[in-house]
Amino acid sequence: MRKLSFIILPILVGLYGLTAAAAAQRTAELLPAFVLEVPAEKKHRSYLGLEVESGSFSVADIDAEIVLIELFSMYCPYCQKEAPLINELFEAMNELPEDAPRVKIIGIGASNSEFEVDHFRSTYNVQFPLFPDQDMAIYKALSGAGTPGFIGVRLSGRGDPVIVLRQSGGFYSKKDFLAELLEFAQQ
Amino acid sequence: MRLFDRRASLTAVLLLLLFFGNAAAVENGLRDALYDTGQLKPVDSTLKVAPGQAAPDFTLPAISGKEVTLSSLRGRNVVISFVPAAWTPVCSDQWPGYGISRHFFDDNEAVLLGITVDNIPTLHAWVIQMGNIWFEVLSDFWPHGEVASAYGLLRTDGTSERALVFIDRQGIISDIYVSDINVRPPLEYIVTQLRSMK
Repeated sequence: MRKLSFIILPILVGLYGLTAAAAAQRTAELLPAFVLEVPAEKKHRSYLGLEVESGSFSVADIDAEIVLIELFSMYCPYCQKEAPLINELFEAMNELPEDAPRVKIIGIGASNSEFEVDHFRSTYNVQFPLFPDQDMAIYKALSGAGTPGFIGVRLSGRGDPVIVLRQSGGFYSKKDFLAELLEFAQQ
Repeated sequence: MRLFDRRASLTAVLLLLLFFGNAAAVENGLRDALYDTGQLKPVDSTLKVAPGQAAPDFTLPAISGKEVTLSSLRGRNVVISFVPAAWTPVCSDQWPGYGISRHFFDDNEAVLLGITVDNIPTLHAWVIQMGNIWFEVLSDFWPHGEVASAYGLLRTDGTSERALVFIDRQGIISDIYVSDINVRPPLEYIVTQLRSMK
């Protein structure tokens, strides 16, 4: 029994990993053009590498090689449930080794007002920048397919920003998801 | 013994596969179960009450098993959230937001009541699927839509409007917000109204 357990356990872990990974789709689309308002908070401007204090910016202006865009809604029960895991993902991105690509994350509050986005931020102590998208213009431009959803964008030196990953729904493992994002972005 | 080990291991594999399958199904359960109503006529009823009037009293069954009577809540502010129907997209994306907003109600000594024209078993299943609904959810199923009708919020198809009714401690309506049925009322509207209620 013990021997069989040693064999079966890795298989199960592998199957679990496959289930989680299967949800992400590799793509190679150009990122549609849209702009975001420069965050009022200095720590967010600093995180994004923005030198201006007001006005607008685009994803291409973010000081990173890979940007993960989270599509969420304050009202979405799955987004609420997943919020702590995404906070952990943000921390894991910050703890990547120096030779790894620089990965940053932003959140787009689909159909959420600024007040609702602020409420989500304070409820879940979200430390990365979140942006309201009350009329869902950004969500539609990105062809969002439900919340939570994730769109991985490659920025580094290969022309225009390219969407390399799309995932509708949450992820199971921050480690696997981050590894997948890095893998897709580097190809 | 060896045969038993093999069977036990196989069972473990099947159980775990079932578990992972079910976990995914549960995660997508609410989203997949929703019925897309498409775009609807924004408002399809005429209000029968107005701010400054006494709120029509009612007693309705809640999914908690209680019977809730509006007049028994005198002395506290009351917010009624009418939503059109269970298992529809906008409604299923409204009350979960209130699920993480309880302190706005508690801070202003307000009771939140959710009302739909669905029956208790339907509401029970829907609320469990949404999760984290801390307020009483009442069924205005029978006589069908009687309370919604008394407020002038019953639509011609038998559903209710997406509306918020704010009632003060004396049982007087302080504000009514009838939303476009296709759009969720912004949370800040509720918070602003709550803060203006004494």
